[in-house]
Amino acid sequence: MDSNPLLWCRRVRLTAGALLLLGGFSGCASLVPQTMGLRDTWPADVAVRSENTEVPFFPQQEYQCGPAALATTLVNAGTAVSPEELLKLVYLPERKGSLQVEMLAAPRHYSLVSYQLAPRFDALLQEVAAGNPVIVLQDIGVGPFTDWHYAVVVGFDYPAGELFLRSGETRRLAIPFTIFEYTWQRSNYWAMVTLPPGRIPASAGEKDYLAAISAMDRVGKPAASVLAYSTFLQRWPGNVGASVGLANRHYALGALADAEATLQRAAAHHPDSVPVLNNMAQVLSDLGRNEEALALVERAARPEGSPYAEAVRETRALVLQRMGKDR
Amino acid sequence: MNTAFKKSICRFFAVALITLPFQTGQAAMIGTDQVASAAMVQGDRTLVLNHLSRSQTASAFQAMGLDAQEASDRVAGMTDAEVGSLAGQINAVPAGGDGLVALVLVVFFIWYFAFRR
Repeated sequence: MDSNPLLWCRRVRLTAGALLLLGGFSGCASLVPQTMGLRDTWPADVAVRSENTEVPFFPQQEYQCGPAALATTLVNAGTAVSPEELLKLVYLPERKGSLQVEMLAAPRHYSLVSYQLAPRFDALLQEVAAGNPVIVLQDIGVGPFTDWHYAVVVGFDYPAGELFLRSGETRRLAIPFTIFEYTWQRSNYWAMVTLPPGRIPASAGEKDYLAAISAMDRVGKPAASVLAYSTFLQRWPGNVGASVGLANRHYALGALADAEATLQRAAAHHPDSVPVLNNMAQVLSDLGRNEEALALVERAARPEGSPYAEAVRETRALVLQRMGKDR
Repeated sequence: MNTAFKKSICRFFAVALITLPFQTGQAAMIGTDQVASAAMVQGDRTLVLNHLSRSQTASAFQAMGLDAQEASDRVAGMTDAEVGSLAGQINAVPAGGDGLVALVLVVFFIWYFAFRR
């Protein structure tokens, strides 16, 4: 249990001692390579000091740092939820803890996008500087012991050499960059943010963020998916996956005209994309424009060995069947 | 029972497994996952495997103290890749819970005071 801040301090000091000892043998730089890297190159466009003091705090109950950390970022993202409520989504009684994939999956049920950061200090600092609290997985066990712990990074002061965390029962834990990296690297620098669908993470990459949105799309509210895909397409207009995702959401909501407009825009970027052609054929057919649909689906059927061949065949059969009925 | 009959039963279940859980009522629209995920479409085999690993993961969750509804809710929120990462190793991946500190401290103090000289 990480209940007593004094204990923490003592442990931090002990860990520091152990670090020094180890450092003497193996060289400090290899122990905390990313902290050493920051000395040479501080990430561009990131202030050296930043803290989001508005981030709420939920003191952790026994073993339940996962739900507490998650509630911290979900409430910060504007979702009304308590750690107790999150227990049923991110706590495994048998393991007395929460798995990383559960932490990533849970926010999607609240129509928030969870995004796993690149395993680097600069991504973490970028998010924190943008005001996004970051959940990190640390191993705060000493020596050969592992002791996994989720905490939330809310700020840092590089000149002072400290990061600020909502951790356990401590509202604002100040921890040196070196110690933090030492505890964080054992989770392979695992970190995530949970943001509302209209807000792209500061460190987001196109491919990973699209995967994050489509993961939310599985269980979140349709309106949230529409917002997420639309915002994504403003940043990366040529992305065919996001266009298809947005059009599918419009289609599922019965907004056929919006679905068509979205696919038309995608077709401008990717005139030969089979999913775009196939799905547009389906939409046009539903709108009663079967002649146009047939032309599109014939084009979609052209590429050899397309992974979508089966779906295209079905669409074509449907369009033909409807045309038969019309006549 | 002759083998032809058995085979046809097997076929029926294979088809049911593939189609039933994935019937989305979206006519022939190509799904978002199929386009967006890096894995793309790898055919029915992947669908069957995904479905199996989802139900296996849900059962593993149940074995770890969740009720059936909670277990399937949790798995529903995960991507195929995430489910895949858990398959067979729910006991091996880290579970952040921070419950061992006291014990670790005791062991550490023993080590520290007994062996520091």
